Amino acid sequence: MVVVFGTLGFRPKSLIPTLKSTPGVDKLVFYCGSDKSDPDAVKKVADARQAVLDYCKTMRIAAEAVDLEDPFDFKNIALRIRRDLRRHRSEGREIGIFNIAGGTRPTSAAALLVCILEGIPTVYIHDLTYEEIRLPMLRMEYSQVLSNEEREILRFLLNNRDKEITEVELAARISKHKATVNHHIKNLIAKGAVRLDKHPKDARKKIVRVEDSTELLLGETG
Amino acid sequence: MRTLVSTFGPEDLERVITAMRALPYDRMVLVGEPGADMSEAFSQLKSVEEFSGHRLEFQGVSGTDFLGLVDDVSQVISSRLRDHETGARQDVSINISGGSKLLGDAALFAAFRMGVSAYLCDGKVVKLPVVSGATPRDRFTSVQTKLLGVIGVGCALDEAIERMKPGSRQASERVVRELKKASLIRADVKEGRVFLIPTDEGCEVLRALTLLGSPG
Repeated sequence: MVVVFGTLGFRPKSLIPTLKSTPGVDKLVFYCGSDKSDPDAVKKVADARQAVLDYCKTMRIAAEAVDLEDPFDFKNIALRIRRDLRRHRSEGREIGIFNIAGGTRPTSAAALLVCILEGIPTVYIHDLTYEEIRLPMLRMEYSQVLSNEEREILRFLLNNRDKEITEVELAARISKHKATVNHHIKNLIAKGAVRLDKHPKDARKKIVRVEDSTELLLGETG
Repeated sequence: MRTLVSTFGPEDLERVITAMRALPYDRMVLVGEPGADMSEAFSQLKSVEEFSGHRLEFQGVSGTDFLGLVDDVSQVISSRLRDHETGARQDVSINISGGSKLLGDAALFAAFRMGVSAYLCDGKVVKLPVVSGATPRDRFTSVQTKLLGVIGVGCALDEAIERMKPGSRQASERVVRELKKASLIRADVKEGRVFLIPTDEGCEVLRALTLLGSPG
């Protein structure tokens, strides 16, 4: 079963060409949402959504419209897309392609980011010609750039993100030497996964904070 | 010298200010459609930058060609990654929130290609998980990248192996297999000869390697 994914804004024409150009599509999953304070945008997105659903019905393609609660919430959109992609893969479905042309800026950027991280074939639709532009994605599991120790530290920090943990406390909690932890933290900072913030009560201390999007980097095992 | 590159459109004053306040930098380069540097927002940002003794740079990019925009933004990053006098690597980060959606996505793609920190500064600041040690230069061996460079837009297998000397034939053939397995090249037979041709992904690696320059 071939599944096509896409993001949708005001224009069905930015999504439907991918259904035409991908052979053997059985299902379309698309993400849409609009600024609820803008009635014009709400109507345009609703019209585009219905047009895509009508097209799929006529073509006997199963369609799943994912209505995004907040189409400007980059991180949660990315997490949702990643979860959906993995669910379809685990069900043995082939991800044909991801069309990232439509939707709000954060929706499109979130989809692109997940495609890069997951190595999903990705296309854009040219604004004027509606021609598909395939992006040269290099397949790589980005989580592989993390060592086992770095993963362990990140998992711990993610599970305790509401706590203010210093490097010394972290070393004690995961039973590692503080010099070892310091080495890994430096690497994780260089990789953009964590940062050091000032301690609110003690200026000599630094709190290790996990970056918002690190969950996206960690991969399957979290 | 730390450079903040930001995608920019005439309506993006707030997005750029959010990035300026959240991200440490010494100089700033705005990337946007030609004419965006004539806007009121640009004038304001320019005068703010002049208070710190730096000139606000603007790089005009245009078109609806996604990969062309990726190349343009990559070029902006590449030219700021090295100190022109000492050759030392310099910090570059990029804010992808401004300008058109196409430009923002192209900038994100360019950030992965070049291994620089990327941020979305739209109300709140989100650091995107771009890993600096995962650029094409980090991911392929020097022999693999050399062979990819030898193949260029395409060349005969025998010719490629000849140009890989003093490496042995067996070693070069092994690298050919590695590049094929990584989907960076494909082989075509024409008139009894085997030709090696880069795939789109192979061309992307070559472009990135050119822009990234030598390691260090």
